[in-house]
Amino acid sequence: MSDAPLIFSPKPDRPAPADTVGLLGWIRQNLFKDVPNALMTLLGAYIIFVVTGAVVNWALIDAVWSAESRRECLDQVGRAGACWPGVAAWFKNLIYGLYPKDQVWRINLGFVLLVLWMLPLWMPKVTSKIGIGLSAVLLYPFLASYFFLGGEKALVWTALIALGLCGLIWVWSTALTETLVEKPLGSWVIGRLGVPEADERRQRQTKLICAALLFVAAFAFVSLWSLSEVRTRLWGGLFLTLVISGIGITFSLPAGILLALGRRSDLPVIAAMSTLFIELFRSVPLITILFMFNTMLPLFMPTGIEVNQLVRAIVAVCLFAAAYMAEVVRGGLQAIDKGQYEASSSLGMGYWQTTTLIVLPQALKIMIPAIVGNFIGLFKDTTLVSIIGLFDLMNMARAIGEDTRWLGLFIEPFFVVSLIYFVFCFAMSSYSMGLERKLATGRDRS
Amino acid sequence: MTRSKRMIEIVGLNKWFGQFHVLKDIDLTVRDGQKFVICGPSGSGKSTLIRCINQLEHHQEGSIIVDGIKVEPGGRNQSAIRDKIGMVFQQFNLFPHLSVLENCILTPTLGQGLPKAEAEEIAMTHLTRVGIDDQARKYPLQLSGGQQQRVAIARALCVRPQIMLFDEPTSALDPEMIKEVLDVMVELAEQGMTMICVTHEMGFARQVADKVIFMDAGEIVEANEPQAFFDNPRYDRSQQFLSHIL
Repeated sequence: MSDAPLIFSPKPDRPAPADTVGLLGWIRQNLFKDVPNALMTLLGAYIIFVVTGAVVNWALIDAVWSAESRRECLDQVGRAGACWPGVAAWFKNLIYGLYPKDQVWRINLGFVLLVLWMLPLWMPKVTSKIGIGLSAVLLYPFLASYFFLGGEKALVWTALIALGLCGLIWVWSTALTETLVEKPLGSWVIGRLGVPEADERRQRQTKLICAALLFVAAFAFVSLWSLSEVRTRLWGGLFLTLVISGIGITFSLPAGILLALGRRSDLPVIAAMSTLFIELFRSVPLITILFMFNTMLPLFMPTGIEVNQLVRAIVAVCLFAAAYMAEVVRGGLQAIDKGQYEASSSLGMGYWQTTTLIVLPQALKIMIPAIVGNFIGLFKDTTLVSIIGLFDLMNMARAIGEDTRWLGLFIEPFFVVSLIYFVFCFAMSSYSMGLERKLATGRDRS
Repeated sequence: MTRSKRMIEIVGLNKWFGQFHVLKDIDLTVRDGQKFVICGPSGSGKSTLIRCINQLEHHQEGSIIVDGIKVEPGGRNQSAIRDKIGMVFQQFNLFPHLSVLENCILTPTLGQGLPKAEAEEIAMTHLTRVGIDDQARKYPLQLSGGQQQRVAIARALCVRPQIMLFDEPTSALDPEMIKEVLDVMVELAEQGMTMICVTHEMGFARQVADKVIFMDAGEIVEANEPQAFFDNPRYDRSQQFLSHIL
């Protein structure tokens, strides 16, 4: 008997069985595991083939591509094929509503500006992403609403638009300096002007002066610049849908967060008011809220003050969306372990620091699927504004079938509208999945 | 023996959870540099006691004075007191969305207004002290339990506390990891930190404690030097408890 201990050496790894890995392995495991499984696979493939075949036939192969009216389409193929010329003739209206044709560039430019504004958020070297995101939410709307609405502008309004313009200039100059010279805009400008680095007071003054000069220039530019007024009743189509849902979405998240925090607050009055608001708006259908805002609100307003119909619809959608979002956010907040609150308060952080730095980042991350689900729901819910007579994408599609030339042409416009909705919703959903993957770093052991 | 200044002074502390009387007439004085170990069966109020000290729980009666500042439930002194006290939890409670280094510099930069570079430097010295400096860029959930707990200790130290509270720091750890955490705590004790540890690691208590406090049913049953406490506990309840865990 020897005293030396036995030496343990782990067995070497063996490769996994060949029929469980690789493409062939996957197919065998998932599609043809046994006889019922194989039968279901074949049946599924057959159904997919029949359905897509029918759709392709109707939409592409048997479709009519040029005609003057629905009569002509029907004469050519009857109901077997789609009649696209009707949709084509109305396509501009589907997108822009009744917006004057020569002014449509303003809508396009407005959305291009939004893309420009958000673009730096995806540039890797840019560090002021929070500022850029905030400016997009707080300043872009002024610029965009002037582009879309135009018309007379009073002094305050001019200043706000100029502020929007300054925002855009700031976003891009920041993005450029941070990308090219890898310095924040402020310190780059100061370096260029030769202000000594040690003198903080002069630095702050210089920054203020620069900002003021920029604002004055923007103000002068905006006041020289005039766009003709386009009344909101001419707004419509996809444009209107995007405006309503865009505002609803941007408003609902911050408002929902505040309401959710309010509902969980220790202060009884705030908690009660938040709960009351949330429960009130959640218990009433959106259509009812829209009707209420549309017909009853003017009764309570003092005479002489008239709130635009579109604004009424937007306010209704925003409040409704905020109430729903609040409950989603509350769900996320409840998922955060109590230990996180205790750790951060034992480190001396106060309520707002704990909330914004510890709790919300974690809660929002788990809530991404639910939040985006809510956004998608809201985007589709905006079709309900057609009930109060706004010509959003959906209502515009219906209008095609009421045109005397294309009388009864409903299926094709709805098909196109479904595609448009699908593209937007699918984009949102893919983006959210991408975001989840990106934020998953550090979540699991790897 | 020179009497150093009183860091924590608890007089007549009473606390209820609803109708349940968790802490009954607790008196306790911890002087600068002293190490106290609190033990006792679960539900005896030992965690609640140390959580009252940094106001994670609010007491209803009695007074707690931390380094000359009176702790008032929900009072304005709260943040001043929390700056003096570092706390380590059973479940580590690191912030999973921040890297190890970010966990450590969060309060120094935001709460105490330290420049980021300086805070990082301090954080790195503490991380080196607990032996995690090579993992500073990782995220908490990528580390083992023992490593996470050591990060939690470093994070608490970054606030430059004068007192450290440990709430069962090794209870959630695998046996092999307990030692690495205890080693860090022993080292901290040797460097003169004032410490109160709720723990059942009696070896640790024997090694570093100035006093072992045994609690049951919300009361301090006995408080004595470790040698005396372990060798001849005065109360039957303490004897019974020790016979279970030793």
